[in-house]
Parts: sequence; structure tokens; C-alpha cells
Amino acid sequence: MTLTNARPARPTAPPAPPRERSPRRRRPDRGRLLASVVGLVVAVLWVFPVYWMWSSALLPNRRLQSFTPNFLPTGGSLENFRAVLAGGGFLSALGMSLSITLLAVTACLLFAFLAALAISRYRFRGRTSFVVAVLLVQMLPAEGLFIAQYKLMQGVGGLESVWGVSLLYAALVVPFTVWMLRGFVAGIPAELEEAAMVDGLSRTRAFFRITFPLLAPGLVASGVYAFLQCWNEFTIALVILQREENKTLPLWLRSFVQASATREIDWGQVMAASSLVAVPVIIFFLLVQGRMTSGLVSGAVKG
Amino acid sequence: MKRTTIGTVAALAAGALVLAGCGGDSDAPSADADGSPTDGGQSQSLTLWLMGGDTPDELRDYLRDTFAEETGAELVIEEQDWADAVTKLTTALPDAGATPDVTEIGNTWASTFTGVGAFSDLSDIYDELGGEDLLQSFVAAGDVDGAHHALPYYFGSRLIWYRKDVWQEAGLEVPTTLAEFNDTVTQLRTDDRSGFYLGGEDWRNGISWIFANGGELAVKEGDTWVSSLSDPATQEGLAQFQQLFTDASNAPATESDSTPWVNINNNDDGVPEAATIIAPGWAYWSIGLPSEEDPDVLEWDDETFGVFALPGTEEGTVAPVFAGGSNIAISAASEKQELARDLLRIIFSEEYQTMLAENGLGPANTQYLDAFVALNPTVNEAAAEAALGSKLTPAAPGWAAVEGATLLEEFFGKVAEGGDIAQLAAEYDEQLDALLN
Amino acid sequence: MTAVPSAPTRRRSWRRRTVPYWLLVPAVVLLLAGTGYPVVWQVVTSFREYGMAQQFGQPAPFVGLANYLAIVQDAGLWGVVVRSVTFAVVAAFVTLAVGIGLALVMRAAWTWVRLVLQVSLLLAWAMPVVAAMTVWIWLFDRRRGVVNWLLERLGLEQFHRFDWLAQPATFFAVAAVVVVWMSVPFVALSVYAGLSQISLEVIEASELDGADGAQRLRYIFLPMIRPVVAIVLLLQLVWDLRVFTQVKLLQDAGSQSGRFDLVGTAIHKLGTGVGDFGMAAAMSVFVLLLTVVLSAYYVRVLLKEDAS
Repeated sequence: MTLTNARPARPTAPPAPPRERSPRRRRPDRGRLLASVVGLVVAVLWVFPVYWMWSSALLPNRRLQSFTPNFLPTGGSLENFRAVLAGGGFLSALGMSLSITLLAVTACLLFAFLAALAISRYRFRGRTSFVVAVLLVQMLPAEGLFIAQYKLMQGVGGLESVWGVSLLYAALVVPFTVWMLRGFVAGIPAELEEAAMVDGLSRTRAFFRITFPLLAPGLVASGVYAFLQCWNEFTIALVILQREENKTLPLWLRSFVQASATREIDWGQVMAASSLVAVPVIIFFLLVQGRMTSGLVSGAVKG
Repeated sequence: MKRTTIGTVAALAAGALVLAGCGGDSDAPSADADGSPTDGGQSQSLTLWLMGGDTPDELRDYLRDTFAEETGAELVIEEQDWADAVTKLTTALPDAGATPDVTEIGNTWASTFTGVGAFSDLSDIYDELGGEDLLQSFVAAGDVDGAHHALPYYFGSRLIWYRKDVWQEAGLEVPTTLAEFNDTVTQLRTDDRSGFYLGGEDWRNGISWIFANGGELAVKEGDTWVSSLSDPATQEGLAQFQQLFTDASNAPATESDSTPWVNINNNDDGVPEAATIIAPGWAYWSIGLPSEEDPDVLEWDDETFGVFALPGTEEGTVAPVFAGGSNIAISAASEKQELARDLLRIIFSEEYQTMLAENGLGPANTQYLDAFVALNPTVNEAAAEAALGSKLTPAAPGWAAVEGATLLEEFFGKVAEGGDIAQLAAEYDEQLDALLN
Repeated sequence: MTAVPSAPTRRRSWRRRTVPYWLLVPAVVLLLAGTGYPVVWQVVTSFREYGMAQQFGQPAPFVGLANYLAIVQDAGLWGVVVRSVTFAVVAAFVTLAVGIGLALVMRAAWTWVRLVLQVSLLLAWAMPVVAAMTVWIWLFDRRRGVVNWLLERLGLEQFHRFDWLAQPATFFAVAAVVVVWMSVPFVALSVYAGLSQISLEVIEASELDGADGAQRLRYIFLPMIRPVVAIVLLLQLVWDLRVFTQVKLLQDAGSQSGRFDLVGTAIHKLGTGVGDFGMAAAMSVFVLLLTVVLSAYYVRVLLKEDAS
């Protein structure tokens, strides 16, 4: 299954410049321009609240209370960041969040991928029941579950532990991941593997060389979503990790949104803390972002 | 590309497993009981949960040091967020392995937790800790059938803060009765400035008018608690509330108390948006004029701002306002009952109570109010006055449920919007009755 | 779909038959361990009286359908349900429309614009919910908000000090804007990932055949991303029906009164608020059944397609 050259060869070559300038070619360029303009406008709109968070993190609390919006952080400083980090707790919370999230996401992607394979590539008894069960589990609201989750962890000795929370998180995100990956696997026709097997590859090798790269974007999208779910999850962490030294980042962040008798909420610090919580996610995104695009290119062009 | 992906995944997985192994404090007391705790042991530790940042670091250090000195055991203090405390207490208190031994508890939740037996009976050391000198309204919040399960920790009360400059301009003086107050603030209202800033759903401040008129939110008849929103005295208070909201306040009908001081400070145009507000004593730190050294910091100015306790219906009396603050209790499931009592002895000692007062927190033991007043005579004289007359929400076992269902926010909001008070009261009486017991 | 190659020997066919089950084992074990007990507990508790007293040791009597009856008879609750369903449908469809549109834009735009857009969507997606809600609440604040400030500058005087959170209609409009803003990145990126699976040669062939942009859209792109879109739409509907944190934080800033509740906050009020965990459990199961009923047709279609 080889891909021919992107530009179709013309049998007769009129004395024209190498790039075709037929009327049909110009329209896609205008379309691309329009799309790019729209894309830029949307990008600005979408990132505005993020910008607002960063900008507010640089301003003192008093300025943030004023009734005229501060569009630019003029006269800002890193004071809020310093204050937030000086309080301690950030590094340990970061460690907890990282270990829990990585463990949960890795387990989730692995298990969900296998399950998605099973569902999409095979016909077997109980397949529909599993699919339906996975869907149903996602429809149950989670607001009242914390009591049972606490009792579960209490019973298996998982309170105050990384593995306990990871278990609950992985179970939380697996249903969704199975559904997402199933769609992606279904979108890749089995013929691709069949063709490769005809060429002499074994089923497994065919799978890894052909299907898996095409699946990469799907894995990345699901992985990123699962990462976010775990990173920002609050209630389970609140209830299972009650000791102060075991806080995850969302719990750590929460402590800033707290007025007390001796001080009111410092919103500049809240924004600084939020920015810090978002940074590891952004780094993770940028890492996989590269993989996502490179995966596309190699997956689509290679045989 | 596929190899690097697999490689990355494998590395991540390995890293995660390593981190999992060394991450998190897994020596949870609930998991393995290596050496069952015995009372008064040498390498013991006691856990105290404090709500929010109210207790200053100085006091926490004092507790830790004194506790170690007197008992030889370690005091571990964990700070909880007010908003999430109920969730954590609900799961942790019944679990002997995870429960805090001593915990601060908001006074409006105290009756619910004591009602289900979450806390130990402290009647045996009640007199030792202060007895009748303790703020009685808070003691009542922690009582079950006369037995004391939660005692007062600290209080704050609500005061009236006003703009002296605005009042003087209008030629008005500090009122001496409640009716006078209602009139005065109504006169002060303009389109751009509330005479008295009061949100429509602000029941914690609004009930001061109910209490002042002798009304109650709920009363105990025999063995059952019954909602008393339809009482004539309560209705009178609600009518005054409605009138104040309509005629004296520019606040939205959906607002409850959050940061009222924003309104009494000058806005960007240099004028206040409210001539009067009601707020707890610690609002002092957020009210003022921009200081000369640093315009971002506010400094209290005696010429511009003033404070007084809300007057009662009779001249010379003080209206019973809603008291803020916390109680403190020992978890019934704790295995260190004696050690916990030792901590309470330290908390109720003269030194600690005075320290509370010196830090702007009303001490539980009213004997030490002098230090409290001396700290900030501007504010705290009024605060002490208001506190002594203060009242709490009904000590019904289901009161936390009433608050959790936001029934009073809804009720007051509808009253503020001009609803028929009698009809609304009947409607909400029913809903409260269902939850109170 | 072509038939899978046949397995002549009995041993190979046995292995083939059990392979899918082995592939499922990890996921099933994980689900049973992490979700099994809580879900079963939830269902069982919905049939019992379980409040704070029971949490502290009192027995939990079996009360049959009493909790469910209380829910069904509560007039206020049906308002909450209707509001939640409307909200979920509107939010999900708007999210899908915007998300698919952006995916197509990403495909058509210049490479650097696509990267900028992707990064901006990722940044928005990465923002912690608490931070995002704080910023959005500031943006819509009646006194300090940028939205009112802008609208006034544009000449719309009625937005001076307009309190967006005071009326349910505008309150939920704000909630919808926030939820859509938070959900679009995921939809856009997933659909874009789906689009990128379409092999280039199919597109080239269609270009050769003379199809213009609109026709390519209708006949190539949309049908090929249908599986992804179908799933994403279903998931968005389910999640938007369960939305909780955003509405709760908006309520904290505005009013917590019942007419600003959706099912998520209503359940939370019953559980953590009132302490009636039996009722909260019953309401959770009720919402689950409601979601099943609403999506039953859609799910059946999905499953049938899947089986073909």
C-alpha cells in the first residue's frame, strides 16, 4: 500500500512555473487565510482567561479589588509567587500529585487500550454487556460516593496512600478511556493489518507497525484527558488523604481560598498558586503535543 | 516513532512505580496498629484539627511547646479548610484509626455532631475549664440533654461600622435604639450609596433584627424542635429586615455576607458605596484609607470610620447579634481521652485565653475579656458588649442540615424581594420542621 | 469489513476465543476493585435511611422506596431536572459545533496558526477548575468585571453594574459559557485527531475528482469522523448532565438558593449539606436512570452500528 507522490504528474507540461497557478489552486489559499484568521481570533479568546490568571498573579491583592479592570500587569512583581512558595507544601503536593497521576494514567491507558482492542477487534459473548456496563458507570453522579470510597479504602488499608488514590482514579477514568479508544480503534480498518499480513508480517508486528502509530493521536488525547482528570480531582483526595503532609495540589490550592479572622483571601496569591498548579500540566502537554503531530505525519505517510 | 512512544510509556510506568513506592506517608494509623496506643505514653502524639487560619502561629507554637512540656507527648496540629471540614469530619470522626483527637468545630455545626454522639462528654472537667464563666451561648450549642460535649473556643461578633464623615455631613448621630438605627440608615441612602449595605440572602446579619425583637428561628417544645418563623416577634423582625433591604440598601437580593468592607472603603471615584455596614470584628483589618507609605495598604482612620454595637429596642441595650466563632471538642472515637483532656486544660488556661484575646479573638472565658478590649479599644469594647449579648442559631440536632439545604438563604432572599412574610414563613416553617430533629 | 482469517486447528481457535477475555481482565478487575464497592454501596444505601447518625454507628434501617418517593414528590426537584437536561443539551451541542468547527479550522489553517490555536486550547484546558472559575467570576463580576465594562463601552448602558448571577436565566448562561469554554479543547483536539486519521490519498483522490471544499467536507470529512463525533457527543451529554464544580462555585459567588441548582449541586446539598446520604444516593440513582432513559435510543443506535 504505497502512497503516490502528493502532486499528480501531468503528462504534458505546459511552459508554466513549477507551482500550478490554476484558478482552483487560488481558492484553497483564500480558504486557508480565512481559516487562519478565524483560528487566531479564537485562540486569543480562548486563552484570555489564562492570561488573566497569569496577569493577576503578578498584581497585589488591593489592585485586584479595584472596580476598573487591570488589563496589563503594570507595576507587577513576583511577590505573590514568592509568598506562595514560601509557605511550603508546594513541592510535597507536587510530588504526591505527580506520582498518583502518573501511576493512575499509565495503568488506565494500558488497561483501557487492551479492553478497547478486545471490544473493537473481536466478537465474543458478553461484549455488549461490558460496553453497556462501562457506559453506565460513567452516568452515575459522583457527589455522594465519597463515603463509600472512604469505607473501601479503610477496609483495604489504602487510606493515606498513593496506590489507594491511584486505584480510585484509574477506575474513575478507565470507562471514558475505553470508550474513546474504542472509537479510534474502530476508525482504523482491519484491512490495513490484513494487507500487511499478506505482505508477510505476523499479526502482532503488523499491528505495531501499522495500526499503533495511527492510534497514537487517540492515545494521546485520552491520556491527556485522563491526566487532567487525575491532576485536578478534589473530593477523593480530600477524603482519602486527610493528613496535611499527604495533600495533592488541588488540596494545597484550596487552602489559599480561605478567609480567616486575621486575614482575608489574597486573590493574587490564589492566582499565583493556580499558575503553579497548571505549569506541570502545560509541560506535559507540550511534551506530548510534539508526539501527537509527529505521530500524525509518520502514521499517515508511511506504508 | 513507535519505539520512542513505547519507550516513553515504559519509562513513565517505571517512574510512576518508583514514585509510588516512596511517595506518600503510608504509615497510616488505620492500616497497621504497630503497638496499640496506651494513655500517657512517652512517644505518644495527639492530633488537633484547627479550622482555617484563625488561630495564629504564635498560639499554635505555644500549644505545641506547652503540651510537650506538660505531658511529654507530641502535639500535631492540622489546619482544615472551613468549606471542606464537614466532609472530612464526617468520614474521619467515626474511624478510630483516622480521627483527630481534639477538633475545633464551627458553632453552627456543633449541635449536629454532638447530637449524633461524635464527641465525648466533657461534663466532668467543665468546672475545671471555666464552668459558668464560659460564654454560655456557645456552651448551649454543645449541650445534649444538659451534658456538655463541645465547649467554646473563641468568638467574634458582628458590629456596625460607619463612615463618620458621611454621617456627620448628613447631621446624624450614633443611634441609641434599634428603631432610630433603622431610620437613620434609611435617610442616608442615595442612588449611588447604600445607607446600610445588607444583602437579600444575608440571614446571618438579618437575624439580629429578629433576635432584637425577641423572636427566634426555632424553639424547643418539650422534646421536639419546632420552627418559629411565624411567631409574631419573628415576623416583626423580618418586616424590619424587609424594610431595611428595600429602603436602605442597594445590595442585590441574592447576596449573602462575604466582603462587606469593600463597600465602606472608598471606591475608585473616592467615595464609599455604603455609609454603614455590619461585619465581624476582624473587618477592622480590611477597612481604612490608603496609607501614605503604600497606597495598596489600608489604614484605619478614626476621623473617617467609626464602630458601635447594634443597639437594642430599648435605649441602653444591645441587640443580640449572631455570634461567629468556634467550639472545641474531643472525638468520642479517639483512643487518647486523657491526653486530649490535658490539651483542653492548656487551652482553657489563663495564659492561653489571654493570648487569644491579645490576638483579637474573643476568649471563651469571659473573665479574660479585658485583655481583649485593651487590645483595640476602638473596636473591642463594642465587640465585647455585642458578644455578651450575642445569640447563636438554635442548638437543634438538625440545624446543620437546615444550613446545608440553604433554606434560610432562600427564605430571606424571597422576603427581601418583597414577598408576603406570613405566607413565606408558613412555607418555610414546614421545610425547617422536616429537618430540625 | 472482511472476515478474519480462519483458524484451521482447534488449538488455535480456542486461543482465539479466549484472547478477548484475557484482554479484558485488567480493566474489569480494576473497575470491580475501584468502582464496584462504591457503586453497590450507593445503590443499597438508596433503599435505606442513612444520615449522620448512621455514619456514627446507628443501624441503617431498610426503608424500601421511601427515599425515591420523597424525591419524586418534591416539586422543586422536577424543576432542577428540567433545567439540568436543558442545560446539558444546549451546552453539549454548542460545544460540539464549536469543537468540530475548530478542528476543521485547525486542518485548514497555516501550520503556525494551527500550533498557536492548539497551544491556546491546551492552556485553557490545563487551567485548574478553581482558578478558571475564579477568573470567570471576576470577568462577570457586576462591579469589577471585564464583560460589563466592555458592554458599557459598546454603548449597552443597561449592563452597568449588571448582576449576571442574580437571575437563573443569566446565571445559567454564564455557566454554559464557562462549561463550553472548558469542554471545547477536548472536543476540538479529539475531532482533529480523528480527522488526521483520514489518509491523505483519499483526500487527494477526491481533489483530483474535482470535489471542492464544501463537498469534501460533507462527503469525506464528516462521515469519517462520525464515530469519534458520536462518542464525544454522548460523553459531553453525560458529563454536562453531571456538572457540579462550576455551578457550585458560581453559587458561592451568587446565590445558593434552590432555583440555581442543577442535579449535581442538588445531590451535593442532600449529601454533604443536609447529611441525608440515603436521599443523596437515591437521587444519584435517579439521575443515572434518567440519563439512561434519555440516551437509550442514542446508545442503541451506537451499539447497532458497532455490531454491523
